[in-house]
Amino acid sequence: MATAPTVDKPPAVAPEAPAVHPKKGVLSHWRLYLAISPFYLLFLSFGLIPVGFSLYLSFHRWDGLGSMEFAGLSQYQYLLSDTEFWGSIGNTIVIWALATFPMIALAMVTAVMLNSAVRFKNVYRFAYFLPNVTSVVAVAIIFGSVFSTNFGLANALLQAIGLDQVAWLNTPWGIKVAIGTLMTWQWTGYNAIIFLAGLQTIPGELYEAARMDGAGPVQTFFRITLPLMRPVLLFVMVISTVTGLQSFTEPQVLLQTTANDSTFSGGPDHAGRTMVLYFFQQTFDNNDFGYGAAVAWGIFLVVVLFSIINWRLVQRRDEEQ
Amino acid sequence: MLSRRGLLHAGLAGTAATALGGLASGCAVPTGSTGRNMVLWYWSGGLSPKVVDEAKARYDSTVNLQAVQIGGYYRSKLLTTMTGRAHVPDIAGLKGEDMASYLPNSSQFVDLRTLGADRLKSQYLDWKWQQGVADDGTLIGFPIDVGPVVHFYQSDVFEKAGLPYEPEDVSKEMGTWEQYFAAGERLQKRIKGSSLLIDIMAVYDNSVNQGAKRYVDKDKNFIGDQEHVRTAWERAVEAKRRGLLSSIVSGTPDANSATENGKLPSQLGASWAAGDLKLNVPKTKGKWRVANCPGGPANSGGSFLAITKACREPERAFEIITWVLNSANQAQGFVDAGLFPSTPASYEMKALRAPDEFFGGQITMDVLGPAAENIPVAYNSPYDVALRQPIVDEIKNVGALGKDPKKAWSDAMSKCRRIADHLGVSF
Repeated sequence: MATAPTVDKPPAVAPEAPAVHPKKGVLSHWRLYLAISPFYLLFLSFGLIPVGFSLYLSFHRWDGLGSMEFAGLSQYQYLLSDTEFWGSIGNTIVIWALATFPMIALAMVTAVMLNSAVRFKNVYRFAYFLPNVTSVVAVAIIFGSVFSTNFGLANALLQAIGLDQVAWLNTPWGIKVAIGTLMTWQWTGYNAIIFLAGLQTIPGELYEAARMDGAGPVQTFFRITLPLMRPVLLFVMVISTVTGLQSFTEPQVLLQTTANDSTFSGGPDHAGRTMVLYFFQQTFDNNDFGYGAAVAWGIFLVVVLFSIINWRLVQRRDEEQ
Repeated sequence: MLSRRGLLHAGLAGTAATALGGLASGCAVPTGSTGRNMVLWYWSGGLSPKVVDEAKARYDSTVNLQAVQIGGYYRSKLLTTMTGRAHVPDIAGLKGEDMASYLPNSSQFVDLRTLGADRLKSQYLDWKWQQGVADDGTLIGFPIDVGPVVHFYQSDVFEKAGLPYEPEDVSKEMGTWEQYFAAGERLQKRIKGSSLLIDIMAVYDNSVNQGAKRYVDKDKNFIGDQEHVRTAWERAVEAKRRGLLSSIVSGTPDANSATENGKLPSQLGASWAAGDLKLNVPKTKGKWRVANCPGGPANSGGSFLAITKACREPERAFEIITWVLNSANQAQGFVDAGLFPSTPASYEMKALRAPDEFFGGQITMDVLGPAAENIPVAYNSPYDVALRQPIVDEIKNVGALGKDPKKAWSDAMSKCRRIADHLGVSF
């Protein structure tokens, strides 16, 4: 604001300057600030302070009840060399990919179909949105039976087409596929609704023009629909990255075992142990709150990294255009 | 997006309301309760609801006992409350598996010896009593229940397989792991598609629990590489090698249907597993029997009551605890909630010696009682959970994925070394 180069502007702004004087401005708008203050006060107490405390915690050793002991950077040093943590990042990304790409494709197809449906539009929309508002725990329990080895629906389907049974929840890839499927099922409808909203903003004239120029439905989809849907696609990608990278309940409920054993271990070979699951295990199973906080910050950095990648990808595409 | 934001705001408003409410009452009651109120925290199934109600009525003239069932992840809620130093319950249930993690913070609890607990010591199982004692000798936890591990089996399947099927015979002829494995081979040969054990943990964990040593000793030395763990490990590997493990994941519908069809006729489980069987496979009523666990008795589960430092009337709280957990009420707890008593005197009571139709009219206490009394005293370190995990993870890889046991053991040990180093446990 206070940069010098714009020499010709000050005269024009000068008469109004006293009105936007920062201090007076804040004071004169106190009612508005008061009106929005609940959010910020709550954010302060339930957002910012815990975030700050977790940073503080990550430089300490603490069992959650006794006295804290300063540990310097040792928690982070351990984190960097912790193969289990790196493994959990790998798991998270694989599960995210297994969930997101089919989900986006399915959601797009669903949205296009919903967009052209004539009757019962709202019924369909409601039906597709339903999985997203269903309790993840309940869904995970049902998927646990769908993917059970001897009596599961998944294996019944495989056998119906003459394939062998797969011990879904007992093999590393089976576990990842099962979790990915659950997440796909849960988020397809939600994203289809968002895609649908995007589709409805595309003016009909464009389709008409395309049809006049002799474009088929496939060509129309790839030349008109998809390019115009880019911002919506980006939004969906960002949201699914953020939720996918924080997946926790799905593997936790799907892979919990009854024997008095950790419910955060993620099944054989830790195949379903996502980053957040690992964070929980360290914090609440091992009572290692300091290290848990460090893991949480590790997760934060991974999420930031992915957000930057997402953002850059879109930026570049825009530049290309 | 809009609905998301709306939800978020609704949630925040809700939290704000509770927070403000909390703040308001927090000023009036900084720690714990007033003298009149006595708050007890436990979890669903942690105490007999009937006994709790009776306690409320019994002490009504002196205190207002408020028993609150805390849902969800109990320990983290208790830790949060205690660290926050507000609304700390006067009496808190402590789960057995978490006990070791509370012990280093004995200063947060009232030493029950100062209230005269020692004179009651002889009425409780000694090994259980020891689990509630911190390293400095402070007694934190007062015993609620225990979980003696026994051998549940379907006698008709055993009979068909030509195995001993009367409880005394099974206890005698499958008394060691070796005998048990040999019987399992016979079983699997005769009953097509059956497995002796559901998974490798049934052997590994029970074997470790049968010993007096675990993963970390009192002086913070890692002992998970010693003979007692190695023996359990090798025994588990042997069960895998001899093909005695099923590929079923425990706790799934698969496990229930296999159990119902007699494909998993032998199950090693704690006393409370009887309740699970009755719930999950009701059709098998009358077919089950109870015998001794191969290799000796072990414990799995069981919990404690403790008095926190926030309690204003520790004497009164102690009076309530000891009444709730006396042998008659523990017997009631077994009848109501399947809580196996930590008071041997209860085992002789009529209510516990009733024949159980689910177990073909067997008096299960004949097996469970002695099993509970003969469980070895083991030291539970607060570091056990962290250092057990890599070993358990790797033995599961052997069991479920067929990983080379030698490689698995060395992987487990190198992980343990790193974790021990990180936690300040000497390797």
